[in-house]
Amino acid sequence: MLSCVRCGACLTSCPTYVLTANEAEGPRGRVAMIRAVVEDGLPLTDDFLAHQQSCLVCDACTSTCPAGVRMDPLQVALRSVLPRRRSLGERLGFALLGDLRLLRAASRLLRFYQRSGLQWLARNLGVLRLLGISDKERLLPRVPGSFLTPSGQVYPAEPPRGVTADASRSDGARLRFFAGCIMSTALADLDQATIRVLQRAGFEAEVTAGQGCCGALHAHTGDLARAEELARRNIDAFAGEGTIVVNSAGCGAMLKDYGHLLGTADARAFSARVKDLTEILAGRPLELRIEPETVAYQDACHLAHAQGIRQQPRAILRAIEGLDLKELRDGGMCCGSAGVYNVLHPEQAGELQRRKAESIIASGATTVVTCNPGCLLQIRAGLEEAGAEIQVKHLAELLDEASAR
Amino acid sequence: MTALAADLRALLTDSQVLDGPAELRTFGYDASFLTQMWPAEPQVAVIAGSTQDVSRLLAYANEREIPITPRGASTGQAAGSAALNGGIVLSLNGMNRILEVDAANLQAFCQPGVVHAKLNEALAPLRLVFPPDPGSTKMATVGGMASTNAHGMRAVKYGPTSAWVLGLEVVLADGRIIETGSIGSRAKQSSAGLELTKLFVGSEGTLGVFTKLRLKLMPIPQARALVMCLFDVLENAGTAVQRVFEAGVSPSAIEILDQRCLRAVNLYRPELKLREDAEAMVLFELDGNPPGVRYDASTVSDIVGPLATSVEWSDEEKRIAALWEARSLVGVAVGTLRPGSNRAYTGEDICVPVSRIPETLRAIQDISAKYDIIIATYGHIGGGGLHPGHLVDVQNEDEVRRVVQVADEIHKLALRMGGTTTGEHGVGAARAQYMPDEHGPALDTMRDIKRALDPKGILNPGTIFPEGVHLREPRALRMAPAELAGDPG
Repeated sequence: MLSCVRCGACLTSCPTYVLTANEAEGPRGRVAMIRAVVEDGLPLTDDFLAHQQSCLVCDACTSTCPAGVRMDPLQVALRSVLPRRRSLGERLGFALLGDLRLLRAASRLLRFYQRSGLQWLARNLGVLRLLGISDKERLLPRVPGSFLTPSGQVYPAEPPRGVTADASRSDGARLRFFAGCIMSTALADLDQATIRVLQRAGFEAEVTAGQGCCGALHAHTGDLARAEELARRNIDAFAGEGTIVVNSAGCGAMLKDYGHLLGTADARAFSARVKDLTEILAGRPLELRIEPETVAYQDACHLAHAQGIRQQPRAILRAIEGLDLKELRDGGMCCGSAGVYNVLHPEQAGELQRRKAESIIASGATTVVTCNPGCLLQIRAGLEEAGAEIQVKHLAELLDEASAR
Repeated sequence: MTALAADLRALLTDSQVLDGPAELRTFGYDASFLTQMWPAEPQVAVIAGSTQDVSRLLAYANEREIPITPRGASTGQAAGSAALNGGIVLSLNGMNRILEVDAANLQAFCQPGVVHAKLNEALAPLRLVFPPDPGSTKMATVGGMASTNAHGMRAVKYGPTSAWVLGLEVVLADGRIIETGSIGSRAKQSSAGLELTKLFVGSEGTLGVFTKLRLKLMPIPQARALVMCLFDVLENAGTAVQRVFEAGVSPSAIEILDQRCLRAVNLYRPELKLREDAEAMVLFELDGNPPGVRYDASTVSDIVGPLATSVEWSDEEKRIAALWEARSLVGVAVGTLRPGSNRAYTGEDICVPVSRIPETLRAIQDISAKYDIIIATYGHIGGGGLHPGHLVDVQNEDEVRRVVQVADEIHKLALRMGGTTTGEHGVGAARAQYMPDEHGPALDTMRDIKRALDPKGILNPGTIFPEGVHLREPRALRMAPAELAGDPG
């Protein structure tokens, strides 16, 4: 924090600064206000809390800062000491994320709501609008029929396309798959797609037993104790050897941060083993082909900014035969999802969502690809709101289709 | 809520007026070392939405003699946009629309808060460019550039911002609105009357507030190349620049980075893999048509070859862009040279005669040794501009005091060399104390102009002019640089 020299290089990378042109809504201002509190004992006034809590923790400023200031740890530390009233819904949501069995039960309820006609009824009777949650309801994923329950099951490597040998490929190591909480339940189709792609890329994938939520949402909303508890559980579950592969940018950034969060040797060793799906797949011989299509790629903040992974997903996409890759005009800008930001700050998140939808439409793409579940749902809802017929896919989903035989 | 804030809320709208105790802290600094160590804060900050907002606000403040500090993105390094005298900070970066691009007449009409890089992004599809190019292009506003007469790397060929501003809409201290450069004109040149545009450009918010700018554009050069030269002996770098000019080549940028800067660039962008085994690197950029650029690049290589330890040139656009990006942020990145240290922007912007650059660089090294302060120097060697970057541990009181002394010596060195204390960043409050020595009686003429346009002295008091301005409640700078030397507490 002391390394901030107030050069302002971060300003135009910050979504909330771009929206408001207000110094207090930018990274430099947020750091200055924290310093005023820490160094001068400025009291925690309402304006302080509001400007800090409106930070998306997208880390765009971190990846721009030439002086090495990091926003994520600053916000996590700050939020863990700030008084914060959680609504009943929030408390319930966070409790669900922490326990995969409860989350699976809740997801089944959601599926019942979506398939039984209740959703149709609720949407058409205007109940949602009456409750003021219609925009949030739009964010809900369509829950699949089966979930991925981590129990140590192993999926074997497959021979490459066009090779008939029945022996599995031996060049890829066994990977240990981090299934995630939302990803393994409400978005389980994406986890299953990821595993198929890993298999076809010659890897053996183990869905390690005992794992759970990564704790990113807890950390970013200030519940450090619970985040640390979840981190320790995952470190225990993944004890031993093997690269840990993850397909959600937000979880990946968190897993890679366990070393910093806990400060222990085993946490650091764990973090060093974590790789994003795109880091694993870039450069692998995988035959990929789709019907000719124009595809845009949206950098997930927690992949591009927090993990510095920008080239690998693009390289993978360019390797797909038939795919014409388009860049978005506001490439590094957050879509407004940012964990649960879209639920806690619907107005600003909505504006970012609208802008992102516009830039995707302007790109001329018919499909947009991203690597994070939050972005996926946020962008899907944004494009639906804008009335655009553009598909939104997780990279794993597209790769699954492109590598299917 | 104070009475002032209540008044302003009635005058403007509620959301345009900020007076929370924490948010006011964010309007008391720019990138200068002065405000980094001793931030000030206004009583109120106002986010302007229109020329009328600015006019109403100034009329109100002028009547009550309340200081007004206009600001863009506050990326300046001279404490020229921080509310050192309290009062009202007037933020113009919300007025950020490009109003019109008149491609046929090579000009653009902008609100002051347009970010420089955004303007050039919008012009690129038209193959046009607004050429002044400060290192802070990604965040600085065109209004701020005009108010400080920013230069940047390409000033060596294309001149400063003032050469590219054709006209301004200015709100005067009492709220009147004028248009300089002939009302409604789209002419690219004029000899009609006193050149008010040039008077206002570079006035750092002391004469009026810009609310609209008419900017001159030019076609983007078709090609460019970059010649990278390494020198074992600093003096040879200076000689090389002179020989290139003597050969009749006019590079679009000539930049120098000393060894410490090369290290800092590698720390910030390791993929650039710059060699660090030299005393200095000089970059010559050539622009124009493709064969001409190649011809110039090889001419420069031939001339510099015997003086340098290595010379290579590239016209690969990706590598050039990456090098320039790293160069533009090296000023901040030098802070990473020593863990726990920051870059201190003070004494950071001198300009000396090109012929005396090697001598000046040696003198800066001597100052560095004398005060035991690490200084990494880079700059626009083609125009004589040098940016000494001092490292400071802001928690070390003694070091802070020594850095302030280093800056003072560097400013005086520049004047001794026949140069100026600020080549392109502006005076602000940080360099106001050197103006009497730098200008002599000419400073009184500047004062006359200031009094004629701002008789009550409400506009950015403390900037450019070293004396306190007589306001109803006179208040000196919280911490003038001279005082810092004595007591940094």
